[in-house]
Amino acid sequence: MPKIELKHVTKRFGKFLAVDDLNMIIDDRAFVTLLGPSGCGKTTTLRMIAGLETPTEGIITINDKIVFSSEDGIDIPPDKRDVGFLFQNYALWPHMTVYKNIAFGLENLKWSKDDINKRVVELLDMLKIAEFSHRYPSELSGGQQQRVAIARTLATGPKALFMDEPLSNLDAKLRMEMRTELKRLHRETDSTFVYVTHDQLEAMTLSSRVCLMKNGYMQQYAPPLDVYRRPINTFTADFVGSPNINLIHGSVESVSPLVFSLPGDIKLGFDPIEKMNLEVGQKIILGIRPEHVAIAEDASMVEATILSSLPSGMETIVQLKMGDSHLHSVIFGDLDFDVEKKVGLAFTSGKFNLFDEESTNNLGQGRLKKA
Amino acid sequence: MSAKSRLNNFKSFIKKPHNIILIVLFVVLGYLTLVPLMTIIVDTFSVHSSEARFVKQPVGSFTLYHWNKMFASGVTSQKTFYEPFLNTMVVAFLSCVMAIAVGGFFAWTVTRTNIRCKGFISTVFVFPYIMPAWTLAMAWLNFFRNSRVGGAPGLFTVFTGIETANWFAYGLFPIVIVQGLHYAPFAYILIGGILRNMDANLEEAAMLLHANRWQITRKITLPIVKPALLSTFLLVFSSTMSAFAVPAFLGSPVRYQVLTTQMFRTLNGMNPGYGYIMALIMIVIGVGILMLNQWITGRRKSYTTITGKSSNISLFNLRKARTPLTIVLVTVLVMVAILPLFSFALESFIMAPGNYSFSNFTTEFWIGAGRADIANSEPGILRNPSIWLGLTNSLKLSVIVSLIAGTVGMLAGYSIAKRRGSKLSTWVNNLTFFPYLMPSMAFGAIFLSMFAVRRGFIPALYGSFWLLVIVGSVKYLPFASRSGINAMLQLSGEIEEAGTIMGIGWFKRMTRIIFPIQKTTFISGYLLPFISCMRELSLFILLVSPSTRILTTLLFQYNEKGWNQYANAINLMIVVIVVSFNLIVNKLTGASIDKGIGTN
Repeated sequence: MPKIELKHVTKRFGKFLAVDDLNMIIDDRAFVTLLGPSGCGKTTTLRMIAGLETPTEGIITINDKIVFSSEDGIDIPPDKRDVGFLFQNYALWPHMTVYKNIAFGLENLKWSKDDINKRVVELLDMLKIAEFSHRYPSELSGGQQQRVAIARTLATGPKALFMDEPLSNLDAKLRMEMRTELKRLHRETDSTFVYVTHDQLEAMTLSSRVCLMKNGYMQQYAPPLDVYRRPINTFTADFVGSPNINLIHGSVESVSPLVFSLPGDIKLGFDPIEKMNLEVGQKIILGIRPEHVAIAEDASMVEATILSSLPSGMETIVQLKMGDSHLHSVIFGDLDFDVEKKVGLAFTSGKFNLFDEESTNNLGQGRLKKA
Repeated sequence: MSAKSRLNNFKSFIKKPHNIILIVLFVVLGYLTLVPLMTIIVDTFSVHSSEARFVKQPVGSFTLYHWNKMFASGVTSQKTFYEPFLNTMVVAFLSCVMAIAVGGFFAWTVTRTNIRCKGFISTVFVFPYIMPAWTLAMAWLNFFRNSRVGGAPGLFTVFTGIETANWFAYGLFPIVIVQGLHYAPFAYILIGGILRNMDANLEEAAMLLHANRWQITRKITLPIVKPALLSTFLLVFSSTMSAFAVPAFLGSPVRYQVLTTQMFRTLNGMNPGYGYIMALIMIVIGVGILMLNQWITGRRKSYTTITGKSSNISLFNLRKARTPLTIVLVTVLVMVAILPLFSFALESFIMAPGNYSFSNFTTEFWIGAGRADIANSEPGILRNPSIWLGLTNSLKLSVIVSLIAGTVGMLAGYSIAKRRGSKLSTWVNNLTFFPYLMPSMAFGAIFLSMFAVRRGFIPALYGSFWLLVIVGSVKYLPFASRSGINAMLQLSGEIEEAGTIMGIGWFKRMTRIIFPIQKTTFISGYLLPFISCMRELSLFILLVSPSTRILTTLLFQYNEKGWNQYANAINLMIVVIVVSFNLIVNKLTGASIDKGIGTN
């Protein structure tokens, strides 16, 4: 069964380092997302696994079979790797009908006409595009083209399916629909999915594991909620979650009891739930998820001023000024707040991540309390 | 609608500069293209002064004489029309095949394989198109003419002792080779453009679905390139069909006649009516081709806009064939694009043609004062006042024509793109393209007869330099207007609107916003008319008078008189001017001819 393994994979384009010493194991039947800002090397990584791009160094194995090794000069062509690839712009062949597009791969495998017909019809039904089978791609909408592309990729039954930002050309409503569809397909086809996106919401909602990349480096490789709860550094903390996590710079005022001094003469106490070594005066960054900022009249830990209030019905995003730092809060329910009003803030629920300012790495978790 | 609101509608229509441009172009181009067309038709039915004796009817009266003679008069029709017509079709068809095979192969090799010297190949490969069409024809004669027909033998015979066969040296075979090579760059640019813009993912998707190289080429790449291939075929077909110089150089020694050479004989001689019928037939074929082309590109499966991330095309690895193939291609290019120039230089320094020994070298034809025993005491090229006059005229003509055609084309492109889809815009678009379909010589002949007399406020222009300017500007407008339309379609309308909202006037918007953004494409629209005009022969050949002669017509005259050395020297001069001008403009502005013909 297809387990995909990358060992020390590096890709250089001239002097530009696209992917740097990447090590990763993609388990069988996993749904792994490569997530990161544009130019971080995620598409290159995917194309290297598929065999469309040749790594500069490293070893790639699919299903315990080495498909690429720079040492041993192995480079198995893409069509022998038994993988499917879904392109960002679908890459449907404009001169073939929907039916022909889907049948093409099967014809190359020398399937009989009847078998091809059976399989194509099955896929047309599965993706609900049977009525378009004799149309040309230019006569389909974006969402329909997307389905054809998926059907074409699935036709030959690849054990690993690679997708390069497949939903980025669709509108918001269709994207939502296709996300559900992809999750269903993942379950039904029983294959390994590797998915490239820059949309953290897609990564969070779809995948079983997220690989966060930046400038060719892998930053964190973990299940999405783990990344959300315990980001390994400020980059991954900031990349995941909407609205973004509040990253408040400050320094250690005293070690026992542990008190942080935040800009604008704000003091907050911190109860570590794991061991961490801090010194007085050390610069830190405190990570506070917006949903953990509660607006409370009484029992408040600190004072703040409301800068803006953006109610959307189900929730309201409030921008606040606490001392000299700004932070976002998400309040659930159809509430609105008066701008300029002074309120108290409480950080009673949730665990809070502490980062070192210099290295940006996670130092550990703890709870906030009144100083 | 009330009269008042109709008036207001009209007012707001007229306030927009692009509407005014469209109307002016519609009137002027209508006059300069449709009137000639009507004149041609009328001329085929009327008695011309030179024919009054045979027809036995007064000059100008209605007659079916020409049509009758051309189509239904047994041997006469056979000789004057059917045979040349058949020859034309065969030549045009085979030249197209040749051009597409050569151009397509080079385009594929440069865009899809890891061949070496790509820069050199793509720079030099367009030379045959930039150079006058007859350059290669003359080079062919320099190398392969034989003593049976051509007098002195060519370089090939001199060095190898093998006498070339007539079929090899003259007629169909060399015409097809030369025209094919001349238009190969055209195919190269069009097909290469598609291959370059084609989304590499389309091929990668096929590869992942277990198709091999050959299957990918046959089932994916070729079908996608097919519309471009067909367009190229049709456009090259209409160009080769109306080409005059090459058949004139290579066909006439063995009396291999095509429609254009027949047209030259008849228009220049006793039976202009015949010539006009031939012109008309070529126009009809041309329009048919254009319509066919539009039908092909507008069909259901059409996919003119194929774009995508094609940065990471996986190149076909030629492996061991890499270096040998590079050498072969470069050799072919050197033979086609560079060697001819050497042959012109060489021939122009030879005293007695055919003798390449050192003692036979002379500078007489370049700087000699003229000797009574050769060429009627014609002085050498550099001391020859008529050559200098021709050179000045050629340059003056090309510069003025390129300024007019380029500017009008840019404005036309701007207005057509602005009002795309409207009837007026479609009409003007077709009118600007129509001159492309008119065979040059017929176009020249018509203007000659139209403007030989005073027409309204336009004085009689016969023998005037301005007649050449008008003909050239109209004929080359299609190139410039194509560039203009391309440039404008790439530009979002909002860019201009942003200027309008800030209260910037139209002239300033054009000169300060639109032109600078699309500078290279617009300049390409000026470059192509200049180059075409510098090397044009058939358009002007009937129009020049002794005081307005230009380099190309001089060259033709010298060649007809058999003064080979002069012809070669002039040819070298034209090629050097055109090629260096193209390279300089290309280096300075980034404009290039492929931007001009890129998306016909």
